[in-house]
Amino acid sequence: MMNKELRNMIAEARDMAENNGVKASIHYHHENSHLMRIGNNSVSLNTSEELTRIDIEVIQGRKKGTHTHLGEIISADDLFKMIQMVSEKAGKSAAMDYDPVLTVIEANVQTEAQYDEALEKLDPAVKEQVYSAIFSNVGEDYNYSGSWSSGSTETFSVTTANNNSVWQRLTDQQFMCVLKHPEKMWELASWQTGTKAGDVSAEATIKEFKSILPTYENQKGFKIEPGNYKVVLGSQAIGELISMTVWTGCAGRTWEMKMGWTADKVIGDDVLNPSVTVLDDPTNQQIFSEPLSDSGLLTKTLTMIDKGRFAGLLYDRNTASKYGKDATPNAGCLVMQPGDGPSDFLEAVRDIDRVLYIPAIHYMNMPNMSKGIFTGSSRFSAVLVEKGKIVSPIFSSRITDQFENIFGNILAISSETTSVNTSNTYGRRAPSAVSVPAWMLIDDVKITDCADSF
Amino acid sequence: MSIFNDLKEAITRNTGRVMDAGAQYSDSRWYEDDSSEMLMLLDGNLEGNDTTVESGLGVRILYGGAWGFAATSQTADVDSCFDRAMANAVSASMLVKVKLDMGKKDGHTGSYTSPFKVDPIDVSLSDKVDFLKGVDDSLTEDWILRRMIRVQLQRMIIHFWNSEGTYTRKKLINTFAHMTVMALDSDRQMQRRSKSLFCETGGTRGWEMLTNPSLWSGHAERVKNELKEVLAAPELELGNRSVILLPGQGHLQVHETIGHPLELDRILGYELSYAGGSFVNLDSFGKLKYGSDKLNVSAYGSIANSPGSFGFDAEGTPERDYLLIDKGVLVNCLTSRAMISEANQRAGREVFTESGGASRSTAFYRAPIDRMTNVNILSGDDGTLEDIISTTEDGIIVDNPTSWSIGSNREHFHFGCEIAWEVKNGEITRVLRNPSYQGHTIEFYNNLSAVGDESSWIVEQVENCGKGEPNQVMELGHGLPVVKFDSVISGERK
Repeated sequence: MMNKELRNMIAEARDMAENNGVKASIHYHHENSHLMRIGNNSVSLNTSEELTRIDIEVIQGRKKGTHTHLGEIISADDLFKMIQMVSEKAGKSAAMDYDPVLTVIEANVQTEAQYDEALEKLDPAVKEQVYSAIFSNVGEDYNYSGSWSSGSTETFSVTTANNNSVWQRLTDQQFMCVLKHPEKMWELASWQTGTKAGDVSAEATIKEFKSILPTYENQKGFKIEPGNYKVVLGSQAIGELISMTVWTGCAGRTWEMKMGWTADKVIGDDVLNPSVTVLDDPTNQQIFSEPLSDSGLLTKTLTMIDKGRFAGLLYDRNTASKYGKDATPNAGCLVMQPGDGPSDFLEAVRDIDRVLYIPAIHYMNMPNMSKGIFTGSSRFSAVLVEKGKIVSPIFSSRITDQFENIFGNILAISSETTSVNTSNTYGRRAPSAVSVPAWMLIDDVKITDCADSF
Repeated sequence: MSIFNDLKEAITRNTGRVMDAGAQYSDSRWYEDDSSEMLMLLDGNLEGNDTTVESGLGVRILYGGAWGFAATSQTADVDSCFDRAMANAVSASMLVKVKLDMGKKDGHTGSYTSPFKVDPIDVSLSDKVDFLKGVDDSLTEDWILRRMIRVQLQRMIIHFWNSEGTYTRKKLINTFAHMTVMALDSDRQMQRRSKSLFCETGGTRGWEMLTNPSLWSGHAERVKNELKEVLAAPELELGNRSVILLPGQGHLQVHETIGHPLELDRILGYELSYAGGSFVNLDSFGKLKYGSDKLNVSAYGSIANSPGSFGFDAEGTPERDYLLIDKGVLVNCLTSRAMISEANQRAGREVFTESGGASRSTAFYRAPIDRMTNVNILSGDDGTLEDIISTTEDGIIVDNPTSWSIGSNREHFHFGCEIAWEVKNGEITRVLRNPSYQGHTIEFYNNLSAVGDESSWIVEQVENCGKGEPNQVMELGHGLPVVKFDSVISGERK
C-alpha cells in the first residue's frame, strides 16, 4: 500500500507547482502484477512486475504537455523538477483552438471496495494447481494453453485546480483456458473474471469443457456456405461488439468529428432494436468501477442507448471544451441490459431449423466506421444448432456485417448477464469489464467466408 | 561507482547465486534509457505532446525446464528481483511437460547502434512542432474535414548480460510518422488517404528521415489529390479479380500472413490463448508450398535502417539474414533459442539448426518472446508497377489498410484499404472507394503471379505490432516490391 511518505511527497510537489503558478495534475499508478501463461500443458511463463508510474499533465493557456515516468522517484524536489520539465514542454508547444481543461477532482475519495489482499498476494502455486486440476479432470490427452493475470492497482491523483485527491486500490483477475484437440485441431475456451481470490475455480472450467466435449469429439467440422444466418452470439462476442458499437457511436469525440455510424443521427433517433439498452453504470457489481471520471467528476449512471433510441453521448473534458459541451461523469462501466429469454440459449432456439452459435469473435476490425461495418471470425466452441440440438462444430467462419444490423435484428436476449473482462495487458494494469447478456439471438447475420479448418 | 558498475556487479553476483542454486540459464536486461515521444496534430491542434521515460531491470531465469521472470523499476532492488524471478521459475517448473533448454553457447560481447545522424529525442520541441505545422499546412484545404499528423520517436539504451558470459549494449533509434487526410464522400461516409514514413536502402533512422521530403512530407500533395478522387469514386463491386498490392498494403499482408504464422512460438502453440496459432506445423518445413515459385521471403534482410534491425536480440544472439521461403517452399521460421530446442525435441529430428535472432521484448518489464524481425519479399523479375499493370486483364491496385482481420491460425484474412485503382486490359481506368479483399493464405500466395523489380522495393515501417501476454508492442519493417495475386475475392457481399 502507498505509504504516507510517498503521498506527502506527491502532495508537496503539487503545492510547489501551485506556488509557482503551474497548472498541473499528478497521477500516481502502482501495479503489483502476476501473470502465469500456459502452453502445451506447461507453465510457459511465470512473471511478476512491480511497477510505479507517475503521469504529469501541465496546461498553459491553450497549450498542454504530458509526461510519464516509470522508474525511481526519490524526492518531492525530483518530482517538481519533472513538473517544471513538462511545464517548459507545454510552453514550447503550439496553442490550440480551444482551452484544454485541467482535471478538477470534484470530491475527496478514498476507496478500496474492490480490493482483496488474498488476490493481491495470490501464490502462483494456486494457479498451477487450478490448471493441473483442469488437465487431470478433463483429460491429459488434450493440448491446453491459457493465461491467468492477477494483481492490484493503486492510484492516487491530485491537481492544482483544488485541494481534493482521489485514492483507489483494487484487485482484479482474468483467467482463460484453451483446450485444443491435438489432431482434430478444434479449440474450446473458458473464461473467468473477478475481483476476489475465490472468483476463479477449476470446477467452473471443468464443468464447461465437459458439457461440450462430446459434441466436438463425436462430430466432424462443418463448413458454412456464405450467406445470411440466424446466429446466437455468446457473451464474449456481445461484449466486444457492444464496446465497439458504443465507442464508434456514442463517444462525443467520434460523433463530433463525424467519424462513426451515428454521425448523421441526433439524440432521440431510433438507431437499434427496442430491446437494446446500454448504460455506463458505475454501480453495477459485476464489473470494475471507477469513482471519478477522467474529468474528475463523481461518476453517475448514464444512458447511451435507451430501448433502441440514441439517448446520450460521452464527453471527456477536452472534447467537451472543444465543442462547447459539458463533460460527462462516465465511468467506463459498460452495461448492456438483459432481456427476458431463458438462461440456456438452446431452449430459445428449439423451434428454429438452423442456428449458428458463435461464442467469441476473433480479431475484430472495422473496414468502414461510417457505416458501422465490422469483420471478424468465429472461434472457440462455435457450433451448428438444429431444433435446439448441437449438431456439429463449425469451421472458422467470417462475419462481416453492420452494428445496426446486429443490434437491430435481435430476436431474443437472455435474461442472464455475464461479466466479460475486457482488460488488456498492454502497458499498465487497467482493469475493465462489461456486463452483457449471456447470449443474443439475431436474424440475418452475414457470414462472408468459411475456412476448411477450425 | 556508477549506476552501470553497481548494476553490473549486482547482476553478476546474483547470476552466480541463482546458477549455484540450480538454474540452467539466466539473463538480465537493463534499460538504462527507454525514451519515447509522441506528437499528434489533429486539425492543426497539438493534441498529443507526450513523453515517456522508462528505466529498469528485467531478469529471466530458466530452472527445471521452465521460465521465471521478474522486473523492477528500482535499481536498488536487484537481489529481490532475482529472488522473485527464481521463485517464479521454481513454481513454473512444477508444471512442465516438455522441459525447455537453451542449448550451450559461448559468451560473447558486442555493441550495436542504429544508423542515425540526428537523435530525434534531442531535437528541440519547437523545431519539431514547426516542422509538423509546416506539413499540416501543406495538407490544409477547405474540402478536407480532418487532418492528422502523428510522430513517434524512440531512443533505447539496453544492456544485456547472461549466465554464459555474454554482454551486449544496444542503442536503438526509431522514427515513425504518419499523415492522414479525411473527408466525407457523397454518401457521407468518411474516406481517408494516408502516407507513412518509409525507409530506403542504405538510409538512416534519425530525425533526418523525417525531414527528407522523398520519404514522407513530399507526398502530401499526392495524398490530397488521391483522397479527392476517392470522394467522387464509385464503390468496388464484389468480384473475383487480380489484386495488385502496393507496398503500403503489401507489407501488412506479409506481416499478418507470413510473419506471424512463421513465429515458432505460435507454431508450437504458445500463443493459443491470445493471438492464436498457426496453420504451419513442424512437418511443413522443406515441404509446404507456401506460395508460387515467385515467392522468396527473407528474415532480417540486412536492412540496417529498418526498425526490425537491432544488432543482437533479447538473448544476445546476433541478427541473422536468412530465407524463410525459397521459391515458394517454406524453409525456415522466426525463432529464439529455447523454441528451437523444443521444436527439435518434439519433431524427433533437427528441424532448425540455430536461432533466428528473433527473441525480442518491448520493455524491461516484459519477458522476451519470438517476434518478427524484418520479414521481406525479395524483388522479382516482373518489372515495374507499370509493367505489371500492362499484363493485368481485370484487376485492382490497392494501397494502405483501413482494417485487417485475420483467422486465428492465420489461415484466412480480410483487409479493407483506402483506395483502389481499377485495371482493365492493361490500363488503369478509374478510382474505386471502399475496397476490400479476402482470401485463404496458402491459396492466395500460390496465386502470386507477379513480383516487381527493385524499382518499387521499399521498407514499410510497423510501429505497433502487438503480441503476447502480458502484451508487447514491437516495431519492425517489411521490405517488398509491388506484388500481384490472381483470382482474389474483392469487394463486399450485399
